[in-house]
Amino acid sequence: MSNWRAVVERAGGLDFDSASRDLAQLREALDRMNSLMSAATPSQQHGFEKRVAELKAPKKDVNALILDYLTMEGYPKAAAKFCKEANLQPQQPDPSIHSRQDIQQAIHSGNIETAISALNKLDPEILDTNPELHFSLLRLQLVELIRQCGSGDVTPALEFASKKLAPRAATNRDFLNDLEQTMSLVIFSHDSLRPELRALLSSDLRRTTASKVNEAVLLRQTQRREAAIRQLVRMRAWAETSARGKNKDLPESLQLGLNADSAEYGESSHEAMITT
Amino acid sequence: MTNPYQQHSPSNFDSPASGRVPPLNARRPSYASVVSGGPSALARPARSGGFSHLLNPSPNSEQQAHSGYPYSAAHTSMFHADMTYTPNGGSSESAFPIDPLGQAMGSGLWPPRLGSSFPYFSRAFDLYMSKDPSITADPMSTDDVRFPSGAPMPNVSSSGFLAPSYLRGTVYLQKLEGKHRADVLAERERSAAAKAGPTSSSSPAVSRLPSNGSAAHLPPAWTKVPGSSHRGVAYDIVEKPMYPAEEEDDDDGDDAVSPLPSRWNRDDKEAALEVLSDGYEVRHTGRTSSDHEASAVRADHYMSPSCGVYYFEITVLNTRSDKVKNPPIAIGFASKEASISRAPGWEPDSWGYHGDDGHSFASQNVGKPYAEMFGIGDTVGCLVNFRLNHALFTKNGRELPIAFKDIHLKDVKGKLYPIVGLKKKEDHIMANFGQRPFMFDIDGYMKRQRATIEEKIRLANTSALVDGLSETDLIQQLVLQFLQHDGYVETARAFAEELQEEKKALRLTAEEPVPGINIRDDEDAHNRQRIRRAVLEGDIDRAMRYTDTYYPAVLRENEQVYFRLRCRKFIEMIRREAELNMQLEEQRRNSRRGARNEARAGDDDDDGDDEEMLGAGTTTTTGGGQNDHDLDMAMAEDGAGAGGDDAAAAGVSKLSQELLAYGMELRAEFKGDPRRETARQLDEIFSLIAYPNPLKVKEVAHLLDGSGRVAVAEELNSAVLMSLGKSSRAALENVYAQTCVLLEELRKDGGDGAFVTVSSVVEGIPPSRLR
Repeated sequence: MSNWRAVVERAGGLDFDSASRDLAQLREALDRMNSLMSAATPSQQHGFEKRVAELKAPKKDVNALILDYLTMEGYPKAAAKFCKEANLQPQQPDPSIHSRQDIQQAIHSGNIETAISALNKLDPEILDTNPELHFSLLRLQLVELIRQCGSGDVTPALEFASKKLAPRAATNRDFLNDLEQTMSLVIFSHDSLRPELRALLSSDLRRTTASKVNEAVLLRQTQRREAAIRQLVRMRAWAETSARGKNKDLPESLQLGLNADSAEYGESSHEAMITT
Repeated sequence: MTNPYQQHSPSNFDSPASGRVPPLNARRPSYASVVSGGPSALARPARSGGFSHLLNPSPNSEQQAHSGYPYSAAHTSMFHADMTYTPNGGSSESAFPIDPLGQAMGSGLWPPRLGSSFPYFSRAFDLYMSKDPSITADPMSTDDVRFPSGAPMPNVSSSGFLAPSYLRGTVYLQKLEGKHRADVLAERERSAAAKAGPTSSSSPAVSRLPSNGSAAHLPPAWTKVPGSSHRGVAYDIVEKPMYPAEEEDDDDGDDAVSPLPSRWNRDDKEAALEVLSDGYEVRHTGRTSSDHEASAVRADHYMSPSCGVYYFEITVLNTRSDKVKNPPIAIGFASKEASISRAPGWEPDSWGYHGDDGHSFASQNVGKPYAEMFGIGDTVGCLVNFRLNHALFTKNGRELPIAFKDIHLKDVKGKLYPIVGLKKKEDHIMANFGQRPFMFDIDGYMKRQRATIEEKIRLANTSALVDGLSETDLIQQLVLQFLQHDGYVETARAFAEELQEEKKALRLTAEEPVPGINIRDDEDAHNRQRIRRAVLEGDIDRAMRYTDTYYPAVLRENEQVYFRLRCRKFIEMIRREAELNMQLEEQRRNSRRGARNEARAGDDDDDGDDEEMLGAGTTTTTGGGQNDHDLDMAMAEDGAGAGGDDAAAAGVSKLSQELLAYGMELRAEFKGDPRRETARQLDEIFSLIAYPNPLKVKEVAHLLDGSGRVAVAEELNSAVLMSLGKSSRAALENVYAQTCVLLEELRKDGGDGAFVTVSSVVEGIPPSRLR
């Protein structure tokens, strides 16, 4: 690898810009080749990679992680198909996944009122026993109202805030802060907001609120808050950070191999697949 | 709280022989209750009650302590000569075989051989035990004698595996157990080979007669049905995360499978000490040493840092005639280099807590006031936390402050042994190395350690794993990539659609474009899906046909996969036969019942004819094939009365012969294979023939289990992927494997990795059975 780099760098002496572009491309290609070749020639691997290659994740576990994810995060169609294709029994009955998905969908698309009534139908006690969750939903509703008002009349938003949110905010310091922050959206022009305020208007707030609601429902239904795959991914991130912190002998970077397969395909790369 | 040990009070010794067996089951806390740390009356005996007979000084107290104390003698070991090790083959929920002794005892079989009037713990059996020839004859029992696994030691399996409650679920203990299991199996195979001799190793297939499920066909004599050695190893190999063997013990204390300390080491003690028969007790014999000397003994193994936390307890027994309340007794840990003629803590690389002054000594003979004194009747524990590099003690279940901070583990090469020091004649202690529940709530302590780390993991930032992807995005991609990689075509499409809907909903304005999700829908994915489908449905022939058509080189180049497929085909045939037999039996039962109800004459005769015909089929290996009914047709006529019955019976008979023929073909094909594993796997699956209905035999049913199909399907899929030049694993599998190895690294020096496992994450998922 370093030889390649040297060659390219020598060539780069002529035209710096194009050479560095080439270098980047070459590196990318080499990375892919490496990840492909590493499977074939284990002897040249870093000791760590070799141990990883020797350790097989049991398919049973991986399948369980996938089904758990599709079920918990509310992808009923995929969960049903996966049960069929992998010969597994469903983890939860279809309707219960569907009802959670409906609520998430409503929140994602900004229909908070729909979501709240669906949630109350699913579990009449959930919002009463969880004031924070209720407040999060109402605040999102306020954000949606403000968004709808745009630069026009903000009266509906103000009315909603004073009627629904203000009484709750009085009981809790955090609620009050959140409310004040949200209300500043009414005052400032949406084009020149501070980053933390701008974040309130992005779809991330819908997403996080939706998963908060989903977690709360799951916790009451199954005693589990989230899909196990989330723990695994966090454990992976934490373990690498800790190991590097302890100066363990690790390869310079540990690739997950998300794009390994698309290398020989070339035409359809995963980067295009999901972007937020 | 009632005292569970009270029933073994010395008075039992003299009570008239009633043959009454103490309710041993009651004090064998289940694995679950020990792990959960739930309020169990058995977990921590009340000190005042449980040890009260030790606290009452009396002239013959030593004698009483011995004869009456349930832990003291090598009491029950002899009874385990008959016990077989159960490598919890099929059951996946319990990581440790629950000692079958409990059941044996509960069902009145206990004591098994002695029609004696003595309580089981009586020393009267010592003589008998050491002379029982059957013990020494059975290689298994030597192990069991070393680890008496009677009721007082609920954490020791019948084959002698020590599994302290607080270490359960750790990889360290999993590895130890794996090693132990392998040792036991190897031992068993050796002894079986020695017993069986060369003749019985001839092919079982040859000696087999086709069976139609009639009870008359008993397994041939060569099969050891219960507890025979073929138990679910072949498939476990694929289905468990396997930790590759560590590099050779590299002398830095990293050897993760160093056994747990389990007893005091007779070869590592000062001369004045006597280690009593079971290895848990140590007594000072009275050859008094000078003032600045003491007598110490180390345990048999060092405390492996990879267990994260190590804990043991000692109880000071009441054996002194001078009634000194706090005799000079010290507990601690030390390296192998520390002198055993000095008290723990006085020497370099030695740390101790002394009972006579309550001081702690950290590698020097000047101590620091640490905590209260301890003495007769007290239970004192020593806890080494390798993660935080400190150690503390407990007294009678209460946690004392940290005694030693920043223990320089690096300098003592990590090898620290539990140690105890005594000084005066008749001083006598008994250790608990985890074979019994501890007085201190070590499980709770361990749980708190784990919670600290789990909290760190919960807060971990995943954004560095793949640049620019949030946790949610990353997981979506991991799942989608896995589905495509492994050829779950339809799931991938459904998932992509649902993701797309989600994206659409998340748009803030309707004009915003919906980002597209590209599903790579190539021919290969479909082909692989077709192959997988076939294997999962148990149609191995179809799977092999597809594979040969789409990827002709794969089976040729992947011998092992080919072998596994061929074996699986055999298993599927057995499975089909067994299922048909069960249906047939069911049908017969129904038709008989029907006949009785309708009182139709002649029906019984029909049945008789059936049986005769079947009998013929079973005794001739060539006949019976003339009926050319296709099996599927026979199946289609299921339940169509006597005619269907005939056809089905013929179908079974035909299947039996095909099965036999195929078995012989298989054996012939792999006869020349020099690998031991191949022969072993063949033996294993051929043994299935021996059972009239293997689906009903617990020991082998798992071989027929559907999970075996999954394993074979995935192996084949990987081989196909490799042949296409693709990575054999999806990114998610990399994540899994990388995490395992990273944790392994973090476990080596007893760090955070010792407290968490990847499997614990997966175990959080409610079990989903195969359809």
